[in-house]
Amino acid sequence: MNYLLTGEEMRNVFLKISKDFETYGTVEKEGEIVFDRVEDFNQISERRSRYAPKEFLFTRNENVLLLQEQEKKAIFGIKSCDLKGFYLMDKQVLGKDPFYTEKRKKTFFVNFVCNEPCDGGFCSSFGGPVLEDYDLQILKLGERYHVMVSERYKKYFDSFKKEDDSVFAEFRERFNSEMSLLPVDGIENRMKWETPLWKKFASRCISCGACNFSCPTCYCFDLYDDHDERRREWDSCILSGFTSSSAGNVRKELNERLRQRFYHKFVYFKKSQDAYLCTGCNRCVEDCPVDIDIKEVITDDYSEE
Amino acid sequence: MRIVRRTDEAPGVHTIEINSRGDGRSGQFFMVSVPGVGEAPISVASGFGRNTLFTIRNVGSVTSHMNKIDTMGVRGPYGTKWPWKEYEEILAVTGGIGIPPVRSLIEEINDSGKGRKLEVLYGAKTPEDIIYKTEIERWMKKVNVHLTVDSGDENWTGRVGLVTSIMKDAEVSKSAGVFIVGPPLMMKNVVKEALNLGYREENIFLSLERRMECGIGVCGHCNVGEFYSCEDGPIFNYHKVKHQKELFL
Amino acid sequence: MAALTVCPYCGTGCQIIVNDLRNGERVIGYSKSLVNEGKLCIKGSSGLSYNFSRERLKYPFVKRGEGFVRASWDSAIEETSRRLTDIVNKYGPDSVAFLSSAKSTNEENFLMQKIARMTGTNNVDHCARSCHSPTALGLITTLGAGAATGSIKSLEDSRTFFVIGSNTTEQHPIIGTKIMNELKRGKNLIVADPRTTQLAEIATIHLRFKPGTDTALLNSLMFVILKEHLEDEEFIKGRTQGFEELEREIEKYSPEITESITGVKPDAIREAAVMIAKEKPTSILYAMGITQHIHGTENVMSVSNLSLITGNVGVRGSGIFPLRGQNNVQGSSDMGALSEWYPGYVPVDSPKVSDLENVWKKDLPRKKGLTLSEMFDAASDGKIRAMYVMGENPLVTEAAVSDVEKGIDNLELLVVQDIFMTLTAGVADIVLPAATSLEKEGTFTNTERRIQKVNKVYDCPGEAMPDWWILNEIGKRVAGTKDYSSPKEIFEEICRVVPSYSGATYENIYPNGKQWPIDSANPEGTEVLHGSTFPIGRAKLVPIAYGPPAEMVDAKYNFIMTTGRNYYHWHSGTMTRKTDILQRESPSSYAEINVDDAKKLGIRNSQNITIESRHGSIETKAILTDKIPSGIIFVPFHFDESRVNRLVGKSLDPLSKMPEYKVVAVRLVV
Repeated sequence: MNYLLTGEEMRNVFLKISKDFETYGTVEKEGEIVFDRVEDFNQISERRSRYAPKEFLFTRNENVLLLQEQEKKAIFGIKSCDLKGFYLMDKQVLGKDPFYTEKRKKTFFVNFVCNEPCDGGFCSSFGGPVLEDYDLQILKLGERYHVMVSERYKKYFDSFKKEDDSVFAEFRERFNSEMSLLPVDGIENRMKWETPLWKKFASRCISCGACNFSCPTCYCFDLYDDHDERRREWDSCILSGFTSSSAGNVRKELNERLRQRFYHKFVYFKKSQDAYLCTGCNRCVEDCPVDIDIKEVITDDYSEE
Repeated sequence: MRIVRRTDEAPGVHTIEINSRGDGRSGQFFMVSVPGVGEAPISVASGFGRNTLFTIRNVGSVTSHMNKIDTMGVRGPYGTKWPWKEYEEILAVTGGIGIPPVRSLIEEINDSGKGRKLEVLYGAKTPEDIIYKTEIERWMKKVNVHLTVDSGDENWTGRVGLVTSIMKDAEVSKSAGVFIVGPPLMMKNVVKEALNLGYREENIFLSLERRMECGIGVCGHCNVGEFYSCEDGPIFNYHKVKHQKELFL
Repeated sequence: MAALTVCPYCGTGCQIIVNDLRNGERVIGYSKSLVNEGKLCIKGSSGLSYNFSRERLKYPFVKRGEGFVRASWDSAIEETSRRLTDIVNKYGPDSVAFLSSAKSTNEENFLMQKIARMTGTNNVDHCARSCHSPTALGLITTLGAGAATGSIKSLEDSRTFFVIGSNTTEQHPIIGTKIMNELKRGKNLIVADPRTTQLAEIATIHLRFKPGTDTALLNSLMFVILKEHLEDEEFIKGRTQGFEELEREIEKYSPEITESITGVKPDAIREAAVMIAKEKPTSILYAMGITQHIHGTENVMSVSNLSLITGNVGVRGSGIFPLRGQNNVQGSSDMGALSEWYPGYVPVDSPKVSDLENVWKKDLPRKKGLTLSEMFDAASDGKIRAMYVMGENPLVTEAAVSDVEKGIDNLELLVVQDIFMTLTAGVADIVLPAATSLEKEGTFTNTERRIQKVNKVYDCPGEAMPDWWILNEIGKRVAGTKDYSSPKEIFEEICRVVPSYSGATYENIYPNGKQWPIDSANPEGTEVLHGSTFPIGRAKLVPIAYGPPAEMVDAKYNFIMTTGRNYYHWHSGTMTRKTDILQRESPSSYAEINVDDAKKLGIRNSQNITIESRHGSIETKAILTDKIPSGIIFVPFHFDESRVNRLVGKSLDPLSKMPEYKVVAVRLVV
């Protein structure tokens, strides 16, 4: 359902939601946009957060011997690219990972649609910032809030003015035409196992894991024992220990591990889940200390041997 | 789970029996843990319904702690099974420490009372490294077991050579299911030889070992291409995975 | 709640935002940071889970009989103070030694040395002794300031980088990536290192020289520069002294002669020398490969000579960058937690000490104290009776650890304040549980002299308390130090007594830190030092004759071992080995051995081997690599189950008292 709201009305919606949920949102901290508790809709920044807030569903480090019942949370200000990351993760882990699943069920996402393309971002190549799936999707044009709300959260909007899909549809078309499209289609067939690209990346890569940690879709974790607890922590497929076992290591070399990351995103996940494991957010590029650019993997013509 | 029996098999290899009737089918594995140290995936070595057995080689941090403890954590079973029910004839080819899933297979088939023509080829490094020596003698009454070692000693009168070299002597027909489990290089060569000998790739099954952590297809470590070895494996149909570049490490 | 603070690992001092929404930590690089511009290495992004380890020390413990019993803070502080005071009263203040910590804040280091000095002793030192004491001494002698001359950001203006004795992408990764990114813009990189480091692989020139022959190599570079008349005459005439003496020494080091010492081909030396002198500005970056030698101070002065004669000081993009190891080793040295200096590098025998006496209203000791590398022998001899250790683990990190054990055994009192029960804490009489840097407030000063604000993210576990709080309680009882109410109050005192910090406040160093000197003349701090003059007027050129390392190979001990860190671990592993991902990546001790050497000795990859030196032996695992030259092995020092410092001898740099961690003659036993 689509509605059109004024700023004041949006504030009131927030207040209603905050009676049912713990409310979090994007706020500024020394010039960076981070997530924190918010009490008022006006506290929420419209700017893109510094990072994809994966930890709302996929905790960075937690004890997995104890499944705690979660508070209901509403997350305001998450950008579409970051939210889409959860929808992609869902395909692999929802229903299987009890910790993720418990949080997923109790979290209400309010995504803000970007008004214009960000530097380096390429979300249009994966559908753009207007999502097909959402809980509550907000597009602010001027001082007016155009919202799309899912069946589940419609009750917060019953009294507001309905509108049709045209605003979002037109916006999507305009936005996606402003951002140049990358040749994503068929990348799973174009990518090559043997290409100088992987070694080129490996000569610079310092194995920091930033590409994994910043990625809204990377879901891998490591399990370890800490005394009486078994904990899990976000993992990185760029690290050699990710696959080493007593039987050996399938990916001894860094270039093989970098290849795995891109193959997982553009080949394996496409085959197993019929989706690319990438939202075009560009965060892995922004956080990479040596400018390894995932866009090169998409645009390379793989003619070099 | 309490450990009720421990049997030394070979240098650095021992078998642990826990006081639990196993619900693991042959080919599957459990995540076995030493509290405070960690978990490791261990194949079921016992037949379905018998007390669960794990045969363990001291290599990692978890497995090397296993001979010091009385109880351990066990969760599972996870993964796919040997599809033995689909085959009237089965050739199991195994090497080194890969044999536990084959032991489980033998016991499961024997216990089931369903007649199957089962032939087992087992290669070990040296006679000393052969595990399940007493069980093998017992199996020989019902199952055709062939042993070979890479290098023998003065008491060894059996075959010497790689397990691939005795495959041609197998008595099963070419439509048999070929179940392979062992070190990566051995599996690679066994597959090659099996195809040479005329076995069909649709009937070849491999047990692929990877670093597994969660056992339920969410932690991401054990992928073989688009498959997760813990969930889509560890038993894979060769035909389905033959194009995977990282099949044999 | 999100807090902006500083990464606790290396001296780069990357700024991190740690966001704690009861979901464990979320760590991101601060994109507005002038230091790291939002980037982090694996230790920064994945290295903080030690904070929540179940093994954290949560309560004070005192030894009773053979074991520890839990104590209240009141009784632990009372016992510590009473026993320290008794020892001071009985044997005099010089019977006590204080080990400060480059992991702790400026405020805590300042307080630690103040307690020592107000107790009446200069026996206060810390691990800067084992990393950059030659830098402090060397560069204070030649330039007048013992610190990096420029900023990390200023490296963008370099045309040539000369990296010697630093595995930068592993040890100061974000600085390493800075260089890597500049290379893409067509800059030159010369790497002098026995090992083929990641930077060496992509370098324009890799000078693969023998360990311990640094001055021969540096002198030879200068030989070429002088012979080709590429020196900066104007700079030498206008801003330096001692050129003639230097020139006379340099004349002896033609590339043909030094090849037999360093193993480097003359052509490579020539090419590198021309590049350094011609493709200016050139910045020189170095680390432990220069300092951890018995000639460490000379090595530093030699680096300084090269920089000065090519006029590569005082301009953005030029300069000398000693890459500081610990997050706050610059700061802890600035604070005077060293036995020969009061805060602000005032020599202990200088008349200027009276300024401090006026502020602290107490007569202060004027003779040099014992250095870290001397304290344990003094303990064996009975001269030191009590040791107070904050956040250091000498039983793993000091050279000749068997002698450290002996010294510690002989103490009447060992107090250790730490975040984990380290090997050293395990043998203490009193163990005091401390906060991590994410659990307290204060300041760190990074490798480019940037004073940065450290902020609290988490509460301490159990009853752990910040180091400054613990020291404050002990200090007021033992030394009569003032009762401070906050780190801020200590910082204000630092700014009163250390001139280069005088313009800093908690407000103006946040969110972006300021580089010292920050004072009335430089209210915004100082990015590049020595622009028009040196603190000592003219810089000194010091002729340095090549001297061989203390240990040489012979028929029996036929390998040279160098020790150091790897990418995943930090020092004695107290933090990183309690951090899942880092510990998984590097779970156990190993020795890197050249593939061909291993083949000759019949050593397979991962095989267990014994390494013996003239001082001891350890068991470890062989890792075969072609990145290390034949005849050399590398062993990291992180692993307390296989302490490589058992193998390191006690030869010290006579000037800075630095042990020679980088050249140890060993043999391999299979």
